[in-house]
Amino acid sequence: MKNRIIAFIFAAVALAMPALAQTAQLPAPSPIEKELAARASNVSEVTLDKNTLAFASRFMNGKDKDKDTTKQLIDGLEGIYVRDYEFDKEGQFTTEQIEQLRTYYARGEWSSIVRERDRKTGESTDVMVKVANGKTVGMFILDVEPKEVSIVLILGPIRMEDLNKLKNISGLDALSGVEIKTKDKEKKDGEQ
Amino acid sequence: MKRLLIFPIVFAALLVPVAVLASGSGGFDGVVSSIESRYHVQATRIPFMGVVSAIARTATQNGVGNMHVAEFEHFIEPVDGNELNRMVEQKLGPDWNRMIRETSRHGNEQTLIFVHPEGNRMGMFIVNLDGHELDVVQLSVDPDQLNKQLGQYEHHPRENAKDENAAE
Repeated sequence: MKNRIIAFIFAAVALAMPALAQTAQLPAPSPIEKELAARASNVSEVTLDKNTLAFASRFMNGKDKDKDTTKQLIDGLEGIYVRDYEFDKEGQFTTEQIEQLRTYYARGEWSSIVRERDRKTGESTDVMVKVANGKTVGMFILDVEPKEVSIVLILGPIRMEDLNKLKNISGLDALSGVEIKTKDKEKKDGEQ
Repeated sequence: MKRLLIFPIVFAALLVPVAVLASGSGGFDGVVSSIESRYHVQATRIPFMGVVSAIARTATQNGVGNMHVAEFEHFIEPVDGNELNRMVEQKLGPDWNRMIRETSRHGNEQTLIFVHPEGNRMGMFIVNLDGHELDVVQLSVDPDQLNKQLGQYEHHPRENAKDENAAE
């Protein structure tokens, strides 16, 4: 009987392991971010893990249809990580540091869907997605301007058009700008 | 025998406050006293806050409770955002997660929002510096109850249109 119980526990643990492994967790901040934060004049950081998102979604129990769709979206997410660094003057970060940031967050299974570079201004936009079993399970956005660096990492099922729904959450209003930028880029690509 | 028992009890009773003092108080009071000693300011505490908190709890039907508020006026010393963040994190302990941090070097503006799940409720800890005023607020929120309360004041376009038609 004892052996059966032990076998049952082992089987349950073995079954639970893949499910646990699939639960995405927000990564620790990259060391580059400390350097950026030290030089930045304004820093905004938003970290919403699964628990906090569940808390935010409970505020969206209403008759409003928009709120309801946002709630559904939030319920499926594992985490949102936003960092925005604003600088007083240009030249406060190097292209190598930006490249290190990109590889820190979006290594391995991430694929690029938008990659924009402006050599004159030094501006760049990267939008990368992580796909598993044909579904998007993560989105990483890195937007660089001469005096500003924005990092957005969303873990869970998310689409480009969903970004607009999230911008109403406190601290995530920067997402609307990213959506407009990527739409412009897609439009330009379509014209070409 | 009874006399012998009194000694360890008295000894333990004396030890408890010493241990508490040695470990340093945490939570709301810990954060407030750290700010007071680090920035040489005195917090204005709202009198009868316990009563205010109880009224808020009743008025919101348990939506908001366990309120603590401390206000620092004439906050003149410059604030290092990293230092303030570290200080608050240390006093709150690992159970609290930082949700939002906004820091501005020039404008002397700092915002820190920490959250802590409390079963069905969520504990929130807010530190906000705006110019020469710093506020520290702690409260416990029940989103479902608060949402229900807020829902009473929501007006939907259709209902408004109905009201307007009825008025005409």
